Amino acid sequence: MKLINHLLIRLSLVLILVLLLWSLIYFLLQMKEIHDGNDEGLLNLKQEFILKANRDSNFVITLQKYNPLNVIIEEIPFEEAEHFKEFFSTERLYFETELEEEEVRMLITAFYCEPNGRHYKLKCFTSTVEQNDLIKNMLYLLIMLWVILSVVFIIVGKRIIHRTNKPFYDLLHKLQAFRLDSAKIFDFSETAIQEYQQLNNTVRHLLEQNIGAFVEQKNFIENASHELQTPVAIAIMKLETLMNEGSLTETQMQELSTVISVLERMKKLNNNLLLISKIKNNQYSDMESVDLKSLMEDVLAIYEELLQYKEIEVKVETFEIPVCRMNADLAHIMLSNLVKNAIAHNRQGGDIAIAFRAGSLTIANSGAPLPPNKNIFDRYVANAQSSKSSGLGLSIVKTIADLYHIEIGYYYKTGWHVFEVKIEK
Amino acid sequence: MHFGKMHIKITRQLFCRIFAVKCSVMKILVIEDEFVLLKAIEAFLLSENFLVEKATDYVSGVEKVLMYDYDCILLDIALPGGDGLKILEQMKSKGKSGNIIIISAKNSLEDKITGLDLGADDYLTKPFHLAELYARIKAVLRRKQHDGKQAVSLGNLTIDFVQREAAVNSKSLKLNRKEFDMLNFLITNINRLITKEALAEHVWGDHIDAADNFDFIYAQVKNLRKKLKENFSDVQLENVYGAGYKLCYETH
Repeated sequence: MKLINHLLIRLSLVLILVLLLWSLIYFLLQMKEIHDGNDEGLLNLKQEFILKANRDSNFVITLQKYNPLNVIIEEIPFEEAEHFKEFFSTERLYFETELEEEEVRMLITAFYCEPNGRHYKLKCFTSTVEQNDLIKNMLYLLIMLWVILSVVFIIVGKRIIHRTNKPFYDLLHKLQAFRLDSAKIFDFSETAIQEYQQLNNTVRHLLEQNIGAFVEQKNFIENASHELQTPVAIAIMKLETLMNEGSLTETQMQELSTVISVLERMKKLNNNLLLISKIKNNQYSDMESVDLKSLMEDVLAIYEELLQYKEIEVKVETFEIPVCRMNADLAHIMLSNLVKNAIAHNRQGGDIAIAFRAGSLTIANSGAPLPPNKNIFDRYVANAQSSKSSGLGLSIVKTIADLYHIEIGYYYKTGWHVFEVKIEK
Repeated sequence: MHFGKMHIKITRQLFCRIFAVKCSVMKILVIEDEFVLLKAIEAFLLSENFLVEKATDYVSGVEKVLMYDYDCILLDIALPGGDGLKILEQMKSKGKSGNIIIISAKNSLEDKITGLDLGADDYLTKPFHLAELYARIKAVLRRKQHDGKQAVSLGNLTIDFVQREAAVNSKSLKLNRKEFDMLNFLITNINRLITKEALAEHVWGDHIDAADNFDFIYAQVKNLRKKLKENFSDVQLENVYGAGYKLCYETH
């Protein structure tokens, strides 16, 4: 869930809940107030009526005769009047004037009329129709307020949150696009919010440290490889001089030969590490359009004898000629390593199938499947069968591919190891 | 005992005869700051009867280069006191030319191009085999020889560098590319033990990991040896205890 929605939903829920509660309380209070007002009016009316009835003995009789709209009066015996307790009720009454039933609030009480010495039951009432209308209107207004407030809150809230968080989203986008090897930190957006300033500063500091560590590591590999070259050179030279002395026994010669071949491996490894760090350090910057088909022909020519020796048959299919903009030397190294890999992990008398398509090149070689769950482009993932290879060949291929955003895929299908080079158009 | 045949160590004179190089003593300047490496190269070159001068930093390097003439200069470009490439610049500006081979731990294409632009003749990346260094020196010296022959002969074996052909008693050995390269490398380093690695690297460069493909290299060498033997060449290819190969010149 997006941060903005997360915040808005929670805030809106709270707002709506508070509004609802407040409206409810407000509404109930208002209702009570209206009813209280009504009841108060009825009580006053009663008071007035009783006063008038006591002052004038004919008042009740006159009233009974004319039957006014808001009081009903009837005589009751003393026994009933003695224990009568006055009460309010809400009832429906038929009004002749309106020709319909209306809801009324009614006060029912009993009193003693002194001038004529009789007991009466008094019902005074008032129509609540208008009050109901008032309540309805109030409810409508409340709901409207409620809806408008919520909508305005969500819209305005969304904009405010979005605006306030702009530096945050900005940073997020820039961080997503950031690559450690680009070695250049992006510009941070200006913000007046203290926390975002802190965030920007912290991220900048962190990136600077990381870039520093990354560069240092790159340089370390390059420097270490460089520094190792000279001692290895000396060792190889000394051993070769020793071997040429002519006074050594066969066993001694073979021992020395083993040492030399180990040193050679070290040298190859070193060279490959150097190559990788040079590629990563962008030391191959010249770009040109490379025709991968004719380049592949050159590469195959280099391995012609080895292919013959291993009796490997190469089948080339051309649907279209892929052309890639990249450094020509790196293109050569990439194809050469792929071919070398296809030969090294092939069996005697095996096959290599190469296919050129528009924007892609596949190199497949026959061979036994690899153990699963291995990323063959990782450094030092060498097959057990050829423990002597440096294990860096495919890693170099991947490094070059990454540099030019070329996609390299690998899969195994019915006896074929397939490498697919997809060139971005 | 074989009295009729004897192995002879190729002497300087013999080498000069083979490669038609001037027979006066060749003077080589080695500019290299790594002392042990310098000593190793010096010892090797001395054993090949070169006259060796040494410089271990930029200043003494420039001084020697500008003051004396050398037949060949081995130049390490990472020197204390300055960039070795600057020495080349100095030489170029002073109109000095020498047969310069850059030796560098940096396998840098840029350095290589700049170096060659500045008048260097070759670029050798550390670590290298002595046999390789020797072959490069010889190649440079031969190239600079104005009257240099494009063919050499040793006993009944003739090698034509232009046609890239080898023949015994005028009968072509029909060598393929790689076999010719091998023979070329071996004959330059005649009578010296060449390790499998040095040979593989010279002929195949980075393209074949020697350790992975010894059988293949062995097969290639075997073919070359067979061709030499079948044609009764005076020069024979020997396998030395499986550690390396040696081209031997046998006189009757």
